[in-house]
Amino acid sequence: MSLIWSNARVRSQLSSFYDINDRHLTLMASRPFLGLDEKKRFMLALIAPAVFALTLFQIVPILTGANASFRDWSLYDPQKTWIGLDNYIYVLTDDDFLWTILPNTFGFMFASVACSLVLGLGIALLLNRRFPGRWLVQTIILLPLMVAPVIAAIMTRWMFNDQFGIVNVVLESLGFSPIPWLTQKWTAFFVILITDVWLWTPWFALLLLAGLQSLPPEPFEAAKIDAASAWRTFRYITLPMLRPVIVVCVVIRAIDAFRTFDIVWTISAGGPARSTEVFSLYAYIEAFQFLNFGRGSAAAVIGALIIIVFAMVLYRILNRWVEVSK
Amino acid sequence: MLEGIMRTSRRTFFAVTAAALAAGFSYGASAQQTEIKVGYMKHPIQDASLDMMEKWAKAHNVKLTRVPMAYSVFMEKVTATLTSETDQFDIIWHNDDWGQLWKKWVEPTDDIPGMENTDPWVLEAFLNDDKKPTAVPMAHTVGTFFYRTDLLKPEEVPTTFDELVEVSKRLQKEGKVKWGYVGAMAMNNTWFTFWWATWSNKCDLLKPFFERDYEKLKANNFEPGIADPCSQEVMEFWWDAMNKHKISPPGMTAYTRNESNAIFMAGDAAFTLIDSTHYGEFNDPKRSKIAGKVGMAPFPVGPRGERPTSWNEVWAWAIPKGVPAERKKIAKQMLAAMLADEAGQIEMWKKTGGPPPNTKLWPKLRAEDKDFDMLSKAVFDHKPLAHSAYYFPEWPALHKAYSDVAIGALQGKREDIPQALKDGVEKLRRAAAGN
Repeated sequence: MSLIWSNARVRSQLSSFYDINDRHLTLMASRPFLGLDEKKRFMLALIAPAVFALTLFQIVPILTGANASFRDWSLYDPQKTWIGLDNYIYVLTDDDFLWTILPNTFGFMFASVACSLVLGLGIALLLNRRFPGRWLVQTIILLPLMVAPVIAAIMTRWMFNDQFGIVNVVLESLGFSPIPWLTQKWTAFFVILITDVWLWTPWFALLLLAGLQSLPPEPFEAAKIDAASAWRTFRYITLPMLRPVIVVCVVIRAIDAFRTFDIVWTISAGGPARSTEVFSLYAYIEAFQFLNFGRGSAAAVIGALIIIVFAMVLYRILNRWVEVSK
Repeated sequence: MLEGIMRTSRRTFFAVTAAALAAGFSYGASAQQTEIKVGYMKHPIQDASLDMMEKWAKAHNVKLTRVPMAYSVFMEKVTATLTSETDQFDIIWHNDDWGQLWKKWVEPTDDIPGMENTDPWVLEAFLNDDKKPTAVPMAHTVGTFFYRTDLLKPEEVPTTFDELVEVSKRLQKEGKVKWGYVGAMAMNNTWFTFWWATWSNKCDLLKPFFERDYEKLKANNFEPGIADPCSQEVMEFWWDAMNKHKISPPGMTAYTRNESNAIFMAGDAAFTLIDSTHYGEFNDPKRSKIAGKVGMAPFPVGPRGERPTSWNEVWAWAIPKGVPAERKKIAKQMLAAMLADEAGQIEMWKKTGGPPPNTKLWPKLRAEDKDFDMLSKAVFDHKPLAHSAYYFPEWPALHKAYSDVAIGALQGKREDIPQALKDGVEKLRRAAAGN
């Protein structure tokens, strides 16, 4: 008895939870299940609903998709015949996937993350200063975070419309010729990029501002005493101390940018002629426009593997950068 | 006192019993009411068709539940419900564009009264392996060449590609419009520029031209026609329209029907080509600056074309095979009622511009309604050379491949068009063959 009830806190918690008598608890606790003591079982019971939900809505679909990627699985007539690596071979030997989709995806990811990071850091540094109305500016800057990406993309598409768009109106009023933005690869890519940067810069600003406000004041006071310039203070104190936050932001956002779908789909649908198509559109088009669920799943699995490897490498590189800076 | 209590209790007992019985009866009545769920796309034509079915449903104690879905996910979602053979929907919207995909999963409809009054041509997209139709027409969707009646008399409307350029340039020069022709080109809108022009130039996507029999196309190794001279002429026509003659906006390769319709409805263009189902929208004074000034005419003909062509397909309804027999029967009765509802079909045309599925009504409607007469002269009087899609599962991939090659060709220099089309041949062949 004393062995089982050695932890008075656990006992009181269990008693109040289950409202059962000591005798019954003793019997229950004396029977180890799968080698787990009652504390571990209790902890497992607490996380069970979350595990159940995660399994149902994350693990099972992933496994279903992975299973489909090895099968002849069209959506309109699912034979589900095992075809081994055929779908993977198709995707990995598809010139469009290798020479258009992947470069576009990584190009978009690097450009979006870099621009959002630089702008977000700039905004965070500005907001880290005290000035009248700072709270209002903070709120306004955060507004894009409250806009659904699809809505933002529809607005941008019309803003850059060659006939009615405000951007061309401004260009024409300045004496420039109107530009058909969405008809060429790089202008279309630019429109997609600025939409994404507009949406995600506040997220960077918010996290980096939180990081800035948590930095200890002493190094900055010392720099002030040494009459260090603002740039040198930023370069040699702020940036190195902020690196852990930057690393986390970059890794999370890079993974997210890799799977961007809504903005690209709404603005250009991957066009003109697939020139702005990214990985998630490729998988979607294969699975749901061509109704080849097996091939779309194989593309998704390949994409997932690429991003896992990429995130690990990126995290390691950035982590080393943080370690070096310490 | 005891007696009083007993009397009260008895009264209470009777009241409760009566209430329970009444509730039971009303539950019974509602339980007897069958619910028919319709999966559809929210669109005035589809709602008008459902209104006809609802009239019958109300008269027969059937509850019709409308389940709207976005166009962008409709086909994928309904395909998934069909292949899982659940009875999530009793009736679904069906489109010729994916007629070939669902033939295994939807009921034959040849036994529905009124089907004999529909156009057998439009049902070809929905035939199952036993050559029985699997859809009930809701409204015809026909490509229509629209022009501005305030700018041109009917006899001045261009009838050839060359005239289209010439008239457009004249109207632009006179400052009456910013653009001559505007039409959608981006993926899934290919009909409104590339394809009507292709068919009007006696050309097609695959060879033999205008063949839609899968086995014959397969036997010909899905030979694309995109690099043929007739197709090259079409690409050059559009390249010139945007870059040389400047009768079309330079951004047109990225236009969906939204942008194209917006330009036409803003009064900035003299001509467009789109489904007739947009006629109501063009004439809505709340949304369109050209309301009441829109005419319809036959497609202009290309240099190789001999006569105007057209396309004439339908939006339809279908019944999934997984629906229980009793509800299938009700669904068929309801669809038969829709086909028999002449007044409802005429009202649908007047309200939405959706031509009635019952073609026996057309002569009457043509005599009474000048708009329907105009549409008939523009479209129905001109026999299509072929269906406006290919009816095999690889069609979406073929469509996308064509769109990519054509738009890619228009992005470059004019002199590079032939090579760009030649480079696209294998892409189209592979897409059609499913490789």
